[in-house]
Amino acid sequence: ASFALLTTTFSGVMSFHGVANAGLFLTLGVIGTLTTMGLWWRDCIAEGTFQGHHTKPVQRGLSLGIILFIVSEIFFFLSIFWAFFDSALAPTVELGCAWPPAGIEPIYPFELPLLNTILLLSSGASVTWSHHALIAGDRKGSILGLVVTLIFALIFTGIQAYEYYNAGFTISDGAFGTCFFFSTGFHGAHVIIGSIFLTVALFRLINYHLTNHHHVGYEGAILYWQT
Amino acid sequence: MTSRQVLVTWISNDDDSDDTETKTVVLRTAGFDARFPNQNQTKHCWQNYVDYFKCIKARGEDFPPCKQFFRAYHSLCPNDYISKWDTQREEGNFPVNLNP
Repeated sequence: ASFALLTTTFSGVMSFHGVANAGLFLTLGVIGTLTTMGLWWRDCIAEGTFQGHHTKPVQRGLSLGIILFIVSEIFFFLSIFWAFFDSALAPTVELGCAWPPAGIEPIYPFELPLLNTILLLSSGASVTWSHHALIAGDRKGSILGLVVTLIFALIFTGIQAYEYYNAGFTISDGAFGTCFFFSTGFHGAHVIIGSIFLTVALFRLINYHLTNHHHVGYEGAILYWQT
Repeated sequence: MTSRQVLVTWISNDDDSDDTETKTVVLRTAGFDARFPNQNQTKHCWQNYVDYFKCIKARGEDFPPCKQFFRAYHSLCPNDYISKWDTQREEGNFPVNLNP
């Protein structure tokens, strides 16, 4: 795992500096990292669901790990929000003391972005429905709720891609572009990661891996999704 | 504008001459502006620069009150800032619309 990550980070930096063939190594590094993650968690599932190693204390440990990771992600986004507020609340003279800066045409937030917000909030509700159905032993309701959640997620991602394609500015357009694409970009990446996490949960739900009182992986996915 | 009267003695550069001349010189700078109370006066400088050019656009270069902004920004702003912003204005890159 650390080998794959080392390759990824080093070749990432190399590709930024234009080292020849760095792109190839970066691809290999990313594939290595993703493969390691897949195999690692496959083993986790095997140890828990099939070999019965996930006793109550083990479950609590796993939950705690997931919670701490999510807290670290919260701080990461906090730093991005800090950057935005620092730039926007008292814009510098280089920006002409104005926000949005001159020449930038911002996206009106109460059209597509509002739809996207509603989609995500609704997906939070539907995943909660699915979770409660699982606890109540309602297999059909649980699967339906999770599928609805994933449909909302897919529509969100599609609309976000459309907005990116049709935006009137890029990431290199000053502080505004940087703030916009950093916040929405990392958010979009997290939505995609969350969707994958939920898809794995759906697969496990359908294949009878989860019980009504033991589903740490699913709870982790829900917590990640709702954050 | 805040002003201060100072006594300045001019000393001749010739070694053999004892000529000196004492004159009163008035030194002036921009007064306190409550919109910019802190140590960092960059925005104070910038605001006077922008206000001067908006003033002459609206009232013409000879309108006397515009001179106040001119004196203020020449007093407050580093010359580097002034020349940088002048260049931006000439190239059409200045980040503010100076039309009234």
